[in-house]
Amino acid sequence: MDDDTEVLRARDFWGAVVLMGLSLFFLWRTLDIPLWGGNRAGVSAAAWYTSAAIVPLGIFLALLLLSITLLVISIRAGGARRALSAVGIGWNPDEAVRFSAIGVILFFYIAGLVPRVDFALSSGLLITALTFGFHRGLRPRMVLAAGAVALCGVYALVMHLPQSEWAAHDDDWLTLLVWGALTAVMLVRARGDRVLKVVPAIAVIAPLVLVSAMAFGFRQNVPNRGGLVFKQIEYHYYVNIRPIWRS
Amino acid sequence: MDFVLTQLSGFAGAFTALVLDPLTYAYLIISVFLGITFGALPGLTATLAVTILTGFFGNKIPLDYALIALLGAYVGAIYGGSYPAILLNIPGTAASAATAMDGHPLAKAGRAGEALGLTTTASFIGTLIGTIALLIFVWLLLLLSQNIASPEKALLALFGILLSGTLMSEDLVIKGWIAGLIGLAMAMVGLDPLLSEPRYTFGWSYMLSGFQVVPVLMGAFAVPQIIDGMRHIKAGQIAQVKGRILPNLPALRRYMPTIARSGVIGTGVGALPGVGEDVAGWVSYGVGKTVSEEGDEFGKGSLEGLLSSETANNACIGGALIPLLVLGIPGSPPAAALMGAFKINNIIPGPTIDPAIILRVVAIMVLASFTMFIMGLFTARVFIKILRIPQVVFLPIVMVLTAIGSFSVGGGINDLYLMLGVGFVAYFMNLLKFPLAPLVIGVILGGLFDETFRRSLLISGGDLTVFALRPVAGILLALNVALVLSQVPLVKRSFLKLRGRTA
Repeated sequence: MDDDTEVLRARDFWGAVVLMGLSLFFLWRTLDIPLWGGNRAGVSAAAWYTSAAIVPLGIFLALLLLSITLLVISIRAGGARRALSAVGIGWNPDEAVRFSAIGVILFFYIAGLVPRVDFALSSGLLITALTFGFHRGLRPRMVLAAGAVALCGVYALVMHLPQSEWAAHDDDWLTLLVWGALTAVMLVRARGDRVLKVVPAIAVIAPLVLVSAMAFGFRQNVPNRGGLVFKQIEYHYYVNIRPIWRS
Repeated sequence: MDFVLTQLSGFAGAFTALVLDPLTYAYLIISVFLGITFGALPGLTATLAVTILTGFFGNKIPLDYALIALLGAYVGAIYGGSYPAILLNIPGTAASAATAMDGHPLAKAGRAGEALGLTTTASFIGTLIGTIALLIFVWLLLLLSQNIASPEKALLALFGILLSGTLMSEDLVIKGWIAGLIGLAMAMVGLDPLLSEPRYTFGWSYMLSGFQVVPVLMGAFAVPQIIDGMRHIKAGQIAQVKGRILPNLPALRRYMPTIARSGVIGTGVGALPGVGEDVAGWVSYGVGKTVSEEGDEFGKGSLEGLLSSETANNACIGGALIPLLVLGIPGSPPAAALMGAFKINNIIPGPTIDPAIILRVVAIMVLASFTMFIMGLFTARVFIKILRIPQVVFLPIVMVLTAIGSFSVGGGINDLYLMLGVGFVAYFMNLLKFPLAPLVIGVILGGLFDETFRRSLLISGGDLTVFALRPVAGILLALNVALVLSQVPLVKRSFLKLRGRTA
C-alpha cells in the first residue's frame, strides 16, 4: 500500500466514525415520523408503507451499514492505528492555515457581509483579499487577508445581527475603509507584480457589472438593495438613465 | 417512414425558428465563448459553467434562450478543456485528461496548431454524432417509456445513483454509494411529496420547501473548486502555436472510422446515467489503443489517440441528454446542472415532457456545435491568451458570481447559507476522495425515488413483489442487484475463479 492510500485509510477511519454518528442521529430523528399508523395531514396512515419515514429509514440504515463497512476496511488497512497521529492522517500545517484562511473569508463574506453590507463593497473586499492573500502562497498575507474580511464580518454580525438592522450603513463604511487599506498594502507590496496591479480594477469593476446586470438586466433581486453604493446606482438608473429610452 | 419524416420536419421547424431569431445568435456567441473560456481555464469545469449560468439564466429569461445559454456553455466547455490539455499538459476539464496524453506531445513537437485544428473538428463531429443519436433514440425510448410506471421509475433512479457511484469513484466504490446516499438523504428534507409530512426541518420554515437544487449544485461544484484552487501555482510553459489553426483534412479522412467509432462510444457512455465526459474520453481512448494498428504510438503524439478522446467527450453530451430528457435521470454531472435549470422552470424531464422541447434541444445542439467550430477555428488565439490568467485572479470572481447567482434564484440569503454549508462538506468529501457527482444526482433524483417508491407500495397495498414481477421492473431490479453484488469481494473472487477455470 502506498503512502497516499495509507493516509486516506486513516482519514477514512474518522470519516466513517462521523458518518456513523450522523446516520444514528438521523435514524433517531426519523423515529419522530409516525411509521405505524397515525393521522397526518388529514390522511390516515394506517400501514407502514404509507409512512413518510419508510424511505428515510432505508437510506439511513443503508448509510449506517456502508459506514460500518468503510470503518472495517479502514481498520483492516491499519487506518485506526494511524488515525490518532498527525502524520498518519497527513496533517499539513501550511495547508491547514490556507484552508482556515479561506474558510474564514468565505464564512464572513456569506454570513456577515452579503446580507448586511453593500454587495459591491463586500465583493470588492473579497476579491482583493482572496487574490492578495493567496497569489504568492505567503502565510502572513493569508492571515492578513482573512483578518481584514473577519474584522468587517464580525462587526456587521455583532452590530447588526437582526434583519431589521441590515439597512444600516456604518458597516458599509467600515468595509470600504478596510478594503481601501488592504488595497493600499497590496499596492505597496505589488511592486513588479503584474497580477496584483490589476486587482483593484477587477475588484471595482466585476462586482459593479454583475450586480447591475442582475438588478437591471435580468430584473432580479440582489443582496442588500439599500447598500451604500447600490442605492446610488439604483437612484441614478431610475432617475437619470432609464428616462433616456423611456421618453 | 412517416415517423422519420415527422421528426425531421419537426426538427426543421425548430431549427428554422431558431435561425431566424437574431437573439439566438447573441445568446449562442456569448454562451459558447463563456463555455470555452471556462473549459480552457484549469480549475473551472464544464459542470461549473453550466451551474453558474443556471444561476444567471435559469429562470430569468424565456426557457428557449436559457437552453441556448446552458447548452452552448456545455458544448463550449467540453471542447475548451482541450486547449490547456494540448498547450500546457494540464486538462482544463476532467473530460480532456485523455486528450493531454497525445495532444501535448504533438504541441511539443511543434504541431500545436494541427492538434488544435483536429480537436476542434473532432469535437464538432462528435457533438453532431451525439445530437443525431439524441434525435433518434430519444423518440424510441419515449415510445418505450410509456410502459414505465412508478416501480420502474424508482428502480431507475436507484440504478442511476448506484451506477454513478460505482463509476465515478476514484477510490473505493463504497464511497460513491455513500455519496449517493448522502444526496438521497438531503432530498428527504422538507415536506414529503405524498402526505406533506415535515421531515428534518428542525423548526426552520425555510427547510419546509426542501433543499433547492441550484444552491446545492453551486455548493458542491463551485465552492470546493474555489477552496482548492486558491493556491500559488507556477505558471506552466504554454507551447508555441505557429501558423493557422486549420483542420488537417487528409488526417480527418484517414481517421474517419476512428472518429465515427469514438462518437458512438462517447454517446453510449453518455447515455449511462450519471457517467460523465471524462469516462467517455478514457473509454474511447482505451478502445482506440486496443483496436488501432497505431496502438503502440498512443501517448507519444498519436493523432488517432487525440481524435479518440476528443470526439468521444463531445459526443457524450448528446448521449447524456438522452436519459435526462426521456427518464428525467441526468447522464452526466453537467446534465445534472441542466436538470436544475429545467426544475426551476417547472419543467419535469421524463416521459411526459413536451416533444417540442426535445426538438428545440436538438436544434440548439446543432447550432451550438457550429458556433463552437467557427469560434474554435477563428478565435482560438483569444482562448490561448486566456490560458495565461492565473487561477487566483478568476476564482474570486467565480465566488462573487456564485453568490449572486445562488441568491437570485429564489431562496435569498438562506440559499447562500445552504450553498456554503454544502460547499464545505463537499470540500472535505473531495479530500477523502468521495465523488460529488453521485451526491448531486442523489439530491436531484431523491424526490422522484421517494415519491415513486412509496406510490408503488401504496398501489400494490404494501406488496414488495411489485418491484420484481413487472417485466421491466424485474430487469431493473436484477441490474441493481447485479451492480451491488459485482462489488462484493466474495462475489468478485468467485467470479474470477470461475473465469480462471473456463480459461
